[in-house]
Amino acid sequence: MYRKQVRRRRAVLALLIVGSFALLTVTYGQGSNGMQRGVSTVFSPIQSVADRALKPARDLINWFDETFDAKGRNARLHSELETTRKQAVGAQAALAENEQLHKLLKLDEGGAIPGGYTLVTGRVIARSPTVWFADVTIDVGSGDGVEVKDPVVNGDGLVGRVSAVTGGTARVTLIADHESAVAAKIVPGGDQGVMKPSVGNPDDLILEFLSSEKRVGKGQSVVTSGWRGQVVASGYPPNLPIGEVVEASLLEQEAQSQVHIRPFADLRDLDVVQVLTGGSRG
Amino acid sequence: MILTPNILARLVAIVVGGVILQLSLFSQVTLFGVSPDLLPALVVVFGLLGGSLTGAVCGFWVGFLLDCLLIVPLGGGSLVFLAVGYLAGAFRERFEIHSALVAPLLCMGLTLFAELGFGAVEMMLGFDAPVSSLIVRDILLKSVFAFVGGWAIYVGVRRALRPALVDERSLRRSGRRPSVLGA
Repeated sequence: MYRKQVRRRRAVLALLIVGSFALLTVTYGQGSNGMQRGVSTVFSPIQSVADRALKPARDLINWFDETFDAKGRNARLHSELETTRKQAVGAQAALAENEQLHKLLKLDEGGAIPGGYTLVTGRVIARSPTVWFADVTIDVGSGDGVEVKDPVVNGDGLVGRVSAVTGGTARVTLIADHESAVAAKIVPGGDQGVMKPSVGNPDDLILEFLSSEKRVGKGQSVVTSGWRGQVVASGYPPNLPIGEVVEASLLEQEAQSQVHIRPFADLRDLDVVQVLTGGSRG
Repeated sequence: MILTPNILARLVAIVVGGVILQLSLFSQVTLFGVSPDLLPALVVVFGLLGGSLTGAVCGFWVGFLLDCLLIVPLGGGSLVFLAVGYLAGAFRERFEIHSALVAPLLCMGLTLFAELGFGAVEMMLGFDAPVSSLIVRDILLKSVFAFVGGWAIYVGVRRALRPALVDERSLRRSGRRPSVLGA
């Protein structure tokens, strides 16, 4: 009797392990499959309700965390304020020049979002719990016009790209995910490179393959380059703001042709995002 | 654990509720810069209360649901969580447990195991990015959160599944106070 139980137990365990590997083999590389679409259709309304209902609790916990954090930030912000004051004077002049250039080039007032894209607004309803991948699930999907590879932004800048869709939800792979790579350029200067994450630290992105001849300075902004060749093209439209250079040591630039960037968007605390649907994709 | 349709329904409700709570609440808050991950602790509790088979099966379904809702390749989460549930259950079957600290300590240790397991699965599927040293701090903090949350989860789940627990039944009949894990 006992032996029979042990045998049955081992059989179930073996079945589960084999099942896991089979699922992994079958579904790896697919955006989404029928099973996930079905489960997602059933659970996304529940997730949306839970997300809204739990928002006060989330805000409360985050408030405690931010209060702890605020003490440390205060000192840093004081020194940053001084630097920013000096920069503001220069920025005003640049702003005036920018306005003139806008008029000259007849660019859109919005500027950052290129033409040909339709914006679909969604909320983050789930987030991956592990530290190894940076994905969020949003409450808009193919039913709203969202497609795989659509860029995703929030009010601060680029957030990531849609990597799988179901009818009512979509998975957004953030720019801090290890699978992410964004063609980016430094402004002003125009030095181009590929931006990759430093897994485990969403506040640190690395812009690689820069030209070692041009010097990049701390505080310079980084935007998507949106390059386009005859056969391939970048998956992102040009000039979407990504972040600013926070570390650009001479040694790293010369030896590794890379600088460190802090994203404008707070990737740990995303709520409302916009998907750029339509347009041309890479 | 004695499985009846009623207990099965409770297990399903706990699994679904746990996964949704994790994705909608815990994954979206930060404490000391880290989001708590309480799913490994939930699976550990299933293993401790129901044994290795219950732990493995519940772990498999927790992982499956998680992968479905995150729209990531299926199987990775199932593999990691079924190992977590099996190890917790095997621990319960092999050792006498007298201290109230065992459940939270196991939650802490197996959360560490789960995070490393997720890393191993990601490496297996292809991983081409530099890893920040901060990831070590994040993993350790997640384990500490699991220690704190594990005890509460253990008490809550044990209360929900009390009619199905073999130890509880025999103890109630004999009139003795429960000594296992002291909750």
